[in-house]
Amino acid sequence: MSAIRTRALSKDYYVGFWRPRPYRALDNLSIDVEPGAVFGFLGPNGAGKTTTLKLLMQLVFPTSGEAEILGRPVGDVTVRRRIGYLPENPYFYDHLTAEEVLDYYGRLFGMSAAARRQRVPATLDRLGIGAERRLALRKFSKGMLQRVGLAQAILNDPEVLFLDEPMSGLDPLGRRDVRALILELRDQGRTIFFSSHILSDAESLCSRVAIVAKGQLAAAGSLADLSHFQVLGWELVMSGVPPTALDALRSRARRVQAIAGDRYVIDLPPDGRPEEVARELSGAGATLVSINPLRETLEDVFVRRVAEVGGGARR
Amino acid sequence: MNAARCVAVAVFRESIRDKVFYNLVLFGLLLVAASILIGQLTAGQDVKIIKDLGLAATSIFGVFIAIFVGISLVSKEVERRSIYPLLAKPVRRAEFIVGKYLGLLLTLLVNTGVMTLALYVILFFLARGVPEPIQRAWDAPALDPALLKAFALIYLNLAVVTAVALFFSTYSSPMLSAIFTLGIYVVGQFNADLKNFDRIVDSPAAIAVAKACYYVLPDFSKFDIKLAVVHGIPVSNMFVAATAGYAALYIGALLFGAIVIFSRRDFK
Amino acid sequence: MTRAVAGVGAICCLGGAVVLHAAQERWSPPQVDRPELLYVRSPAVAKRTALSYGAISADVYWIRALQHFGNERLAPPEHVRNYGLLYPLLDLTTTLDPYFSIAYRFGAIFLGEAYPGGPGRPDLAIALLEKGIAAQPGKWQYVQDLGFVYYWHLRDFKAAAATFQRAADMPGAPSWLRPLAAVTLAEGGQRSASRALWQQLAQSDEDWLRSSATLRLAQLDAMDIMEAWRQFRRDRGITPPVPNDPSGTPFVIDPATNDIAVARESKLFPMPGQIQSSR
Repeated sequence: MSAIRTRALSKDYYVGFWRPRPYRALDNLSIDVEPGAVFGFLGPNGAGKTTTLKLLMQLVFPTSGEAEILGRPVGDVTVRRRIGYLPENPYFYDHLTAEEVLDYYGRLFGMSAAARRQRVPATLDRLGIGAERRLALRKFSKGMLQRVGLAQAILNDPEVLFLDEPMSGLDPLGRRDVRALILELRDQGRTIFFSSHILSDAESLCSRVAIVAKGQLAAAGSLADLSHFQVLGWELVMSGVPPTALDALRSRARRVQAIAGDRYVIDLPPDGRPEEVARELSGAGATLVSINPLRETLEDVFVRRVAEVGGGARR
Repeated sequence: MNAARCVAVAVFRESIRDKVFYNLVLFGLLLVAASILIGQLTAGQDVKIIKDLGLAATSIFGVFIAIFVGISLVSKEVERRSIYPLLAKPVRRAEFIVGKYLGLLLTLLVNTGVMTLALYVILFFLARGVPEPIQRAWDAPALDPALLKAFALIYLNLAVVTAVALFFSTYSSPMLSAIFTLGIYVVGQFNADLKNFDRIVDSPAAIAVAKACYYVLPDFSKFDIKLAVVHGIPVSNMFVAATAGYAALYIGALLFGAIVIFSRRDFK
Repeated sequence: MTRAVAGVGAICCLGGAVVLHAAQERWSPPQVDRPELLYVRSPAVAKRTALSYGAISADVYWIRALQHFGNERLAPPEHVRNYGLLYPLLDLTTTLDPYFSIAYRFGAIFLGEAYPGGPGRPDLAIALLEKGIAAQPGKWQYVQDLGFVYYWHLRDFKAAAATFQRAADMPGAPSWLRPLAAVTLAEGGQRSASRALWQQLAQSDEDWLRSSATLRLAQLDAMDIMEAWRQFRRDRGITPPVPNDPSGTPFVIDPATNDIAVARESKLFPMPGQIQSSR
């Protein structure tokens, strides 16, 4: 049984006042997520990611098609006890504190007072919300609200987690914490479905991804399959490069540029073997600062996928 | 219905934190100031006037709360998008609506209850020191238990207005909801005139429409027994019961209607 | 709850509400709204705008009526008194609250009051009282007040007696109304009947009614004194010195009629029988 399943899920919004015209926000989406997977739902802004999540939470109703969570249709209220949801840019209640919001949601889950007394502080601790838990939420920064959002998503120990842009609004420390949390949950055997428009998040966390753009599914599969995240080149940053070595470089590199003092950015072609160049330059007395692959953007992937498959990509 | 109860308690708590109950301070000040000043002005009618003022103020303050808080019950959650995490919990949409309604009813109950008590306290102090024969000549005693009937009907009135506000706010913007609700409240006051439309207007179509409106729109003038109670004219329990039944049925219709609308609403 | 169930529920409840509404209409007529009082003039407009706050609006108009009357009556002697607003204000008060008995009774006494003490419009007093009687047909006090207006301000003793009789016939009327009717009918215009009436009113619970009655009794005493003075002059043929009236101010001799009269400055002025319109 899949944890999450959609079949030909579509959603039309009607725009225009006098003669409303349908705007297809999601077109025939069919995906399958196995239990225990970390599934990345990727796409540029406006691709239909949030619409899909709302359809799964039944915040909006599909124009056609169906969706299931844990084998039950999406409208089933009992299933909601076993799932957690983090909306994009979450907002709760100004007048409540973090503790009170979690307690409220805990009651809605049907947790006993004893269970709430135990779970609420534990969850707040896990998300790194300390003394602020007694402050009214109106005083919280965006990053703090994101943490509260994650807290209420995991409060009921869900089997399946739905996260809409979980890294949004977080500073690097926060992003690292969330990444660690997701991995921890994965290790506990939970299913995680998250949407993002940042590719690097998917790369470090996901076992499978789907790419949507303009409401359509462009690609789906494991990361290994989608090896079309091709490397377009390498960017090597070295410091202390002796001027003699520089000239030798210029034949192999597409571009060599000096930045600040004696640091150089060396732009190598995809087959430029940056580890060799680094070794050689280190041998000559330079110090390695960083090696970064230059990849295709998601737009490039989508465009290429569509071009590869031709008309058949439009389902 | 555990979820409905949770939501109701949350609404009540929000009312407290939003300082809705401060209106009671204003109410108290108003009654005290009036009872001090009015005694000088009105040739012995203080008790009647204080009763009128107390009942009228309870009704007006209550209607304001019913309309303005009633409208924001749903629309505030939708606007702020706090409804997204909420509806992802095991809460049916119908339970959400019922819970919100019951929460505001609770707030209004506490508000009206405190006002009732305050009025009785003021009347007690006002009537102290007035000689017995004069008290007997009043239309109704100062600490008249029939006032409770008037307060009960005021509360039912507020319950219906809240239901109207909630109904409109399930799909309209707050501004439109306020206008519609206020409009229905005002028309509902003049409901009796709609019935007598045939005396004023000649066109049979207009009369038919007016009569239809009279029967279908809520008749708020039913709930107003302030005049009768203040003058000691008895109000039958049958009447109160029938009016309560009318209120319950009308509220039921509005809540069911709100559920119908809200159940299929898309939250874009 | 499915949408269908909720939809059916909504229609059933609305239907039930409509049926109950209609049933209530048929079995118990509306409490306060009586068609006879829906005049098509400004009190009706006031009633509409007051929504269901007619009672407190009536109070406001009542306060204004009192203040208007008091301001005019207690103004310094140079002020030209105009009581034009008294009746409209009392009319508004009683339209907004048809059971506002004090307004009717106040109107009964003071609308008929001769100028400059009042507007001197007993006809308006009668109109107001008739309205009160229409609103509360069982209230004998209004009919008694009506009789009083006929008796005191209009000096129509036959009508007064008939009205007192009508009041006496109403359920709950006190037993002294019938003898009052009889006395009025039999003697009419005589001071003893008047005195009986005013003595009854001097025991009222309303302050202003009591003081009004006391004033009237003082006027009756003054009339007795004046009568005695005239009798003395007729008998002895000489003009005795003028005494003080019961309020302490000396009487004067009116040069035009060569008769004793109450001084203008006296509290007892104007005396009954000096009915002048304020129009």
